[in-house]
Formats: sequence, structure tokens, C-alpha cells
Amino acid sequence: MEEKLGEEIVEISAMVNGTSVVLRTPANRTMLSILREDLHLTGVKEGCGIGECGACTVIMDGKVVNACMVLAPKMDGATITTIEGLGDEENLHPLQKAFIEHGAVQCGFCTPGMILSAKALLDEKPHPTRLEIREGISGNLCRCTGYQQIVDAIESVAEGGMEEGR
Amino acid sequence: MSYPKFRYAVPKTVRDAVEILHAATEKGEKAIVLAGGTDLMVQLREKSLVPDLVVDISRVTSLTKIERMGNEIRIGPLVTHSMLASSDLIREYVGVLSEAARTVGSPQIRNLGTLGGNIVNASPAADTIPALVILDAQLILTGPKGDRTLPITDFFEGPYETVIEADELLTGVIVPLPPPSGRAIFLKLARRKALAIARMNLACMLYYNRQKEVFEWVRLCVGSSTPRPVRMTEAEKILEGQPFTDVVLQKAGQAAAEQMVALSGLRSSTAYKKPVVGDLVIRAVKLAVEKG
Repeated sequence: MEEKLGEEIVEISAMVNGTSVVLRTPANRTMLSILREDLHLTGVKEGCGIGECGACTVIMDGKVVNACMVLAPKMDGATITTIEGLGDEENLHPLQKAFIEHGAVQCGFCTPGMILSAKALLDEKPHPTRLEIREGISGNLCRCTGYQQIVDAIESVAEGGMEEGR
Repeated sequence: MSYPKFRYAVPKTVRDAVEILHAATEKGEKAIVLAGGTDLMVQLREKSLVPDLVVDISRVTSLTKIERMGNEIRIGPLVTHSMLASSDLIREYVGVLSEAARTVGSPQIRNLGTLGGNIVNASPAADTIPALVILDAQLILTGPKGDRTLPITDFFEGPYETVIEADELLTGVIVPLPPPSGRAIFLKLARRKALAIARMNLACMLYYNRQKEVFEWVRLCVGSSTPRPVRMTEAEKILEGQPFTDVVLQKAGQAAAEQMVALSGLRSSTAYKKPVVGDLVIRAVKLAVEKG
């Protein structure tokens, strides 16, 4: 049993976008703040900060999570993918290309989280129906597009599976 | 955004977690248990919760399993809503719990939020609780002196209030396998399909005997409508031994509505909830009977 009962400062060792990261931080921070402020991965957006909007969505150990809902020390040992890990300007990810082609980006604030939710969905289910696509992005709010173009973009990458919910 | 300052501990075993909670409690400190974080992170951000110590149990791997043991399913409290929604074991034997878990939050929230967290947070709107109530679930609490087991309905004292001690940990959820004749349904009313907190939710399991044309047994629990989750026993009594007719269903709905008002008193939401709870009960019973 530790005499001090826990630590205010913790060490985190994580794999972020394929790069190994080690850092020390006060425990009372979120993964969102670590990603943005310490690792400068500003594609991770803070919208509501309470797990409602999905702008801070990242993929953690293969699953989408709200980075604002994850206490920083929970990053220790985790593998994390942010939008910066998906593609770059010369070499866009197919989902990024599809979002541009289908006009699925307007203000852009929801886009990183939206694309990561789409990626996690397609990784698990390569040929989702439109209904499944809508469920897959149900944790990501977009106030510009009305969602149709986003669903179209994801569907174009998924190919097939376009019967339901159209 | 600043969060209150606290110390952080990350035990690997139940014993270590309980020891840490006990030691902190003895010192007069406020220690809180962190699992998926989907409720706690909001409370920390709002500073409605200011702990001295956060005990993160997410690395206690013994609490992440779903197992069948004889005539019961044992679910670790760290099992996430996503795991409940996709587990073959849960879907096959206690599908109503899987249905309830599938309606929680969003994919992101379901990947983080845990069954144990949903129970211990004790929100009246928790979606898994009505399902666990009709399944007659038992909870195992582990403290410095050992384990105690209690029926889930004895766990809650009121909204966000439970009998768990500061140095106790929820370490298991035991769900007895329901009778194979039972047909179950989970319904949720909310402002939108995703990411919505239940206005009202309901779990129902029943056996309708088609030969005798009577309800043999019925279990009903309506969430977000009573201070503590309870079975809608008045409605159950009206249905049992009776045929599946509109008159019987109407009476059962009326009884559920009256029991809700008796337990909750007249509130600003009663004008809405009273007719709705009756209709929900009727709809759930119909859907469960239609399941065959």
C-alpha cells in the first residue's frame, strides 16, 4: 500500500498516431487537453466538453471515444488515432477525399470527429446500410450540413449497402 | 477548462482498490471510484464533485468479464454498454439488457460507460436499471470486511443515492437466467434517438400462456418515474391470470400510472407522465406478447 495514496502527477506512455509518446502531467486533465495542448493535435476539437457533441472524438484502442470524457492518466498504455493520423494534405485518406467530394464539410468543426467515427464504423462493418451509417455517426453533431452529404460521403467509401433508410 | 486538483490511484486488483478506498476514508478524505468516466468527468468539470482522490478501477481486469456460471450470468461492473450490446451471451440469455444498453448515449459513450457506473451513479433515468430489475439481478459489493450480496432493488435509496459505503466497490452483477418461456422488451422515450437521456424507459418480461390464454407471470419496471426503481406490482397483479384483452391492458396501464403517482407524488411532470406511463405499459405488454 502506497503511503501517499495516489499521485497528483502521473506519467503517461502512449502510442499516438503511430508515434510513441511519454509525458508527465497533473492527473486532473483530460485526454482532450493533452492531445491539443501538449501534443498540438488541434484537429481534436472541444465543443461541449461533456460528451454530447462528438467534436473531440478520437479512436482509442480501436474504439471511438470522446476525448473530453477520458481522464489523462487513462491514456497510459493506449493506442490513439486522431485525424492527424489518418492522412495529410498530399495523401488524403479515402474518407477525407469523399468528404470533400460530397460537400460534407462546411464549417469543419465536426469534421475530424465525424471522419473518425466513420472510420471506426467502416473498420468494424465495411458495408453498412445508410441506417447503420447514421447510427455510427449518431454521437457526432453537425450544425451545417444536415448530415445527408456526410452519409453520402461515408456511403461512397463503403460502396454497396445503400438500401435502407434512403 | 480547469478540473479540481486531486490525487490519482490506479489499482490492479479489487483488494488493492478496496484498501485504497478504506485508507482514504479512514483519513477522512473524499475518494471516488472512476470507471468509464462518462458521468464523473462531467461532475468533475462542473465541480459538483471535488474529490481528494480518484481511484481509477479500469485496470482491474477481473471486473471486465461476462460469464455464464450454472443458472446465472455474471457480469463484471467494468463491462461497457458496447460490450453488453454485442455480447452473444447477453443477447442469447438476457437480450433485454442488451437492448437497454444499446439505447445509452452514443457509440462513443457506450464504448466508455460501464454497467457498474450506470448502476452506482443511480440516475433515475439509467437505461440498464429497469432491465436489471425485471431480471431480478443481484449486486455484489466488496468492502474491507468482505462481500455482501443484495437484490438490485435494495441498492437504491433515491435519485443518485445508494447504500454503497465509501470503502465499498461494486464487483459483480449476477443475473439469474430467466425462464425460457419469458418474453422481454425494453422501450425508451426520449427527445431524440441518440444521445438522449430517457424521459421514461420501461422493461417488461412476461409469459403469456397461449393454451390457457392467460398471463402466467409479468415483470414490469418503469424508469425515470419513481424515486427508486421498483416493479410495477399493481399492474403485474392485474395482468396475471387474465387474458390478453384491451380491457385488461387498459386496467394494467391505469394501475401502473396510479402506482407511479403514489410513489412519486404529484409533480410538474405528472400531467405528462401519468397518461404516458399507462400507454407505455400497454405498448410493452403488447410487444412482448407479439414476440411469441
